[in-house]
Amino acid sequence: MVRFHELNPAVIALWFFTVTGTAMFCSYPVICFLTLTAGVLLFLVRNGRNHLRTHLFFLILYVILTLANPLVSHNGKTVLFVMNDNPVTLEALLYGLNSATMLTGVLYMFRSFTQIMTSEKLLYITSLLSPKISLVLSMAVRYVPLFNRQGQKVSDTQKAMGLYADDNIIDDITGRMRIFSSVSTWALENGIVTADSMAARGFGTGRRTSLKRFSFTLTDTAFLIITVILASTVIVAAAQGSLEFDFYPEMSGIHPDHTGKAGLAAFLLLVLMPVFKETEALIKWKYSESKI
Amino acid sequence: MTVIKSRRLREFIRYAVPLVIIPSLVLAGAFVFDRKRHILVSLAVALFSLLLFAAGFERRSTGTRRLVIVSVMTALAFSGRFIPFLKPVSAITIITALYLGGEAGFLVGALTAILANFYFGQGPWTAFQMLAWGLIGFTAGLLAPVLKKSRINLIIYGFISGIAYSFIMDIWTVLSYNDGKFGLKLYLAALTTAIPYTISYAVSNVIFLWFLADPFGRKLKRIVKKYNI
Repeated sequence: MVRFHELNPAVIALWFFTVTGTAMFCSYPVICFLTLTAGVLLFLVRNGRNHLRTHLFFLILYVILTLANPLVSHNGKTVLFVMNDNPVTLEALLYGLNSATMLTGVLYMFRSFTQIMTSEKLLYITSLLSPKISLVLSMAVRYVPLFNRQGQKVSDTQKAMGLYADDNIIDDITGRMRIFSSVSTWALENGIVTADSMAARGFGTGRRTSLKRFSFTLTDTAFLIITVILASTVIVAAAQGSLEFDFYPEMSGIHPDHTGKAGLAAFLLLVLMPVFKETEALIKWKYSESKI
Repeated sequence: MTVIKSRRLREFIRYAVPLVIIPSLVLAGAFVFDRKRHILVSLAVALFSLLLFAAGFERRSTGTRRLVIVSVMTALAFSGRFIPFLKPVSAITIITALYLGGEAGFLVGALTAILANFYFGQGPWTAFQMLAWGLIGFTAGLLAPVLKKSRINLIIYGFISGIAYSFIMDIWTVLSYNDGKFGLKLYLAALTTAIPYTISYAVSNVIFLWFLADPFGRKLKRIVKKYNI
């Protein structure tokens, strides 16, 4: 039984990008609500009741994002009350609520995304496009924190040697230049060592392979096809304008036509697919356990 | 790294890619494709600059070493982009080009643009930045003997390349304001409004080249000599 995070990384990435992309570009209230619900559900299914602080953080963020909009934007017809000569309107409040729902939902999704997509899987996806570019880019990205760490080491050493910077600005700058110079020499030398090590391990002698094999199974294909079908239904509905909602000056009600309804149903299924996948696996596991 | 064996093919790639293929790709990306597919254009530019880079050497062992040095320089230029107002990207690209050749310079410039824009925001302008920084590096590689001779020449080149960067980026400004149509008047207007930025580019090039060219040049020269790159 394959769980959601065990699917092929390309399939997982496609699912995440269609869902978050739809939520971000089409801020229809129902879609935002579904994204948030599914995002929270997926996170709960995967992590159980741990990560209380994460939930608390997102809750605070949600409240702040909701309240920020009516304080800044004063559009809308229905004035709730007047604060400091500025009207606070219902429309602006609900607009804030909607965008807070969307943002928190997308953030929950990305939380799960970073948990599921390890750097190895990300590298696998970029290497589908171009292995060499992905190698150089990921090396450059890795070098930035590496340089910082080495800089800290050099700086500590210099401090221990008594070469620490005083309050004097010139002294401070020359000290930093010294550190920078030493770190860059080290970086270049270290680069050569890396290159030789890569060459010794056979870099460039054949096709690059991944440490872990990610096969493309029947389940992956099925998941991919369902994702594409459901996502295209949503996209068609959004492109036809069936999923549009105006907050200002007056809210348009939620009365989707047939295409809109189909799109919403498709999005509901799409967004819950990983939750189904995870719970299905859990239930099967429990069932097989009880048989033993 | 793949090695291109035929010398004539190498020579062809060396000039055709940076001067014809990549500029036409960038312009086609701005004119023809719709805006949402800009990341594909940027990736294509990155692939072509890699091809150009591959045309810059003859032996495989050199290739891998050069590739790593390029990523080190890219990382340095990338971390330099977080400095407010002043951008050392051009300066580091130029220094790389002086000692490792214009092909490596082009790659450093192009990769820094695409990498830094993962933080600062990708867009159709990414391809233009890649082209602009890449060409600055490539030309520096062509002019390397002159530029290495005296610091004054290098500083002048840095100043001019800052202006050239602004000139190339303003092509994109005009295209984005005018729905993909180019107008000379609009271009001139864009150039005039961009004067403060142009000056900041030119000045930061001069400052960084003044301070970095010598120490960095020595380090790169040492590495090139020591490891026979």
